[in-house]
Amino acid sequence: MSETGAPRDPQAENAFAHASEAEFAHILDFYQVAWEYEPQVFPILWDLDGNVLESFAPDFFLPDLDLFVELTTLQQHLVRKKNRKVRRMRELYPNLRIKLFYARDFRALMVKYGRSALVSELSGALGQVGPHQNQEAGVEIAGSGGPAVGRPLDLSMPGSAALDTVGPHDRRSRGARRRAVRRAAAAYAPNSTAT
Amino acid sequence: MKHSQDMNEDVAEILISEDQIRVKVAEIGKRISADYAGRELTLVSVLKGSLPFMADLMRQIELPLRIDLMEVSSYGGTSTESSGLVRILKDLSAPIDGRDVLLVEDIIDTGLTLNYLLRYLRGKNPKSIKVCSLLDKQARRLVEIPIDYVGFEIPDAFVVGYGLDFGEVYRNLRFVGVLRPEAYES
Repeated sequence: MSETGAPRDPQAENAFAHASEAEFAHILDFYQVAWEYEPQVFPILWDLDGNVLESFAPDFFLPDLDLFVELTTLQQHLVRKKNRKVRRMRELYPNLRIKLFYARDFRALMVKYGRSALVSELSGALGQVGPHQNQEAGVEIAGSGGPAVGRPLDLSMPGSAALDTVGPHDRRSRGARRRAVRRAAAAYAPNSTAT
Repeated sequence: MKHSQDMNEDVAEILISEDQIRVKVAEIGKRISADYAGRELTLVSVLKGSLPFMADLMRQIELPLRIDLMEVSSYGGTSTESSGLVRILKDLSAPIDGRDVLLVEDIIDTGLTLNYLLRYLRGKNPKSIKVCSLLDKQARRLVEIPIDYVGFEIPDAFVVGYGLDFGEVYRNLRFVGVLRPEAYES
């Protein structure tokens, strides 16, 4: 159990990209559900050379439940990109279970636990912990400077992917994780070397 | 939290009427009576929400049975913030080892509380343990747990009544209704 029972640690809180994720982790801890934060990165888009162009790292993995959870507290009309990624991940990795928790789900959870007053500060842009980047983009990887315009993309699944992990209990900064993801993607891609 | 003196005013719509509940509870009771015939059944109710359901259900089961009550703390409750962990506020009053246990719940949404309770109760070595819930809100499910007896699958709405509360109010409504957002939005 990665964090269960651990007292609230301000440094650990900062490891989350979003305040809603920290709150969600507290709820899981409270009910003694084991969790790992962004432990795996899943390539979801490749170019014709097999280079990973885009990946997706679900926020949580609950090992005892064998379930990935992606949490988004953005307004419903802004989650199109994340929906697409989750849909793509389900297509490519049909044996994995992933649940997308929307803003309305998070809000309902907060109302249920009598914490509706915290919904605003834990949601959307207000809840972002790190630099105010667009978290909706998730973890994006551009193999060599991003997908070139007009370059054909390979949307087929490249066999059974040996998924790289950034590592459970990852407490590195988001930048460090992104660099790790790039290295993982490069290592995953055939005919490429890790940078 | 503000609520009207007339609780009905805070209810946007009646989702499940008193009559529908009565019919369904009788139906579940009949099924349980058949399934557990000749066995030693213990009904365990999870306070406080499942009290009305438990009271009605036990009278629809035509078997000799025992009842017991449990209460667990809920996330966000002030009494638990020091430990940050779910706690058993009221434990079983009698052992359940070797007995068939039926956990009676009012509603299952995320399944987090149920998941914890089942793990806890399994540690007490019952002969079997099953779950009966009046309401099932699948849309919110995080922990997939088989529910053996389900009264009603309900949509993703904030419901009160027939034991279900908001801020400890509305439990005594005779029906299950959808609470108006104005009643829970601060």
